[in-house]
Amino acid sequence: MVRLSDLSEHEQAHLLAKTLPPMTPRQWVSPSKPLSQMRVALITTAGLHFRDEAGFSFLDASFRPIPNEADGAKLVMSHSSVNFDRSGFADDVNLVFPIDRFRELEQRGQIGSLGDVHYSFMGAGHTPDAYEQGAEQVAGLLKKDKVDAVFLTPV
Amino acid sequence: MTVSIALVRENAESLQPPRSLWVSFPLGRPLGVPNDAAFQHRVIDAALTLLGRERGPVLEDYDEDVPEIATESAPACPVTFPRDDSSWQNRLASELGTLQPWYQMGLSRRQGRTLVGVSDSSIHEIMRRLAEDLDNQQLPADLVWFKSAIEDAKAYYLEALTAQPGQYDQVELYQTLWHDTQFGAGLRRFYDQFAADEKLSGFAVIVLPREALGEKPDQEIQNEN
Repeated sequence: MVRLSDLSEHEQAHLLAKTLPPMTPRQWVSPSKPLSQMRVALITTAGLHFRDEAGFSFLDASFRPIPNEADGAKLVMSHSSVNFDRSGFADDVNLVFPIDRFRELEQRGQIGSLGDVHYSFMGAGHTPDAYEQGAEQVAGLLKKDKVDAVFLTPV
Repeated sequence: MTVSIALVRENAESLQPPRSLWVSFPLGRPLGVPNDAAFQHRVIDAALTLLGRERGPVLEDYDEDVPEIATESAPACPVTFPRDDSSWQNRLASELGTLQPWYQMGLSRRQGRTLVGVSDSSIHEIMRRLAEDLDNQQLPADLVWFKSAIEDAKAYYLEALTAQPGQYDQVELYQTLWHDTQFGAGLRRFYDQFAADEKLSGFAVIVLPREALGEKPDQEIQNEN
């Protein structure tokens, strides 16, 4: 178990330096259908991509698409931060990008469907405003894919 | 609609995303436990439940921690890392040779899955070029290559050190990587060189983690020249 209070003082200070005020304008969408009818996509900030794609650079607010039918086990990581564990991700892609779990939810009918494409950003170095352009682009792509809900994972 | 996993509660509390589930898991493990589908499903279910909320922002605490790993039950480190004061070329080549069978075993255990391959260089080429820079006491000329190369090398070492099945204590694992290996000593050398360079000091942060520096802030790493 890890809580902020379990970490060293310098690690706490670094993470608390990322406490930013609420993003504006505030966004809220109320549910219009049950989860079992929702189309869901995944977005991660873990810097994931396939081996034959360009890795993320030192400071990089771009994103990579991850086709829903792709083999998640072939994803690699080029995240600039070295301050988190990667051995778990080496064992199981679902620890960071739970694509197999969501396929199981789809098969069980607990969600309606999965989007055609999921997305990966690399969350390090930049403040959130640097990702605005890419996030707007991804939001447009998700809308075209008729995605209702997005499940976001940090790393 | 969005629902997010939050690893640092204080960050989510201040940023106030619409729907967020805080988990107490270690950084790098937002779903908690690798290869435990039931555990991961419980986390996902708790998060997806928040999509049904009519008002927000919502920040809820997930009430299950990852299981503690008993030190005695974790697999032993498969390799002994001896002192070596020869050239970096010799040190890193020797270490790579020792780790190679364990990396292959890890590859087999993970059904061929590996995180190595972000760069377009083989692991032997990576270690040769890193050693060349270390022996010449120079910073890498190609920083794009260097970033991907050390990512590959770290992945290679971690996968070799965790070749045997079982749950590993992450703190001990990274202690071994940063403080016991010649590669870790080499990274410390690169870190110091970047940190001392007026133009490239910002690059040092991708070489070694804060925890590795914080534990021995004023000490030379063993085997340093």
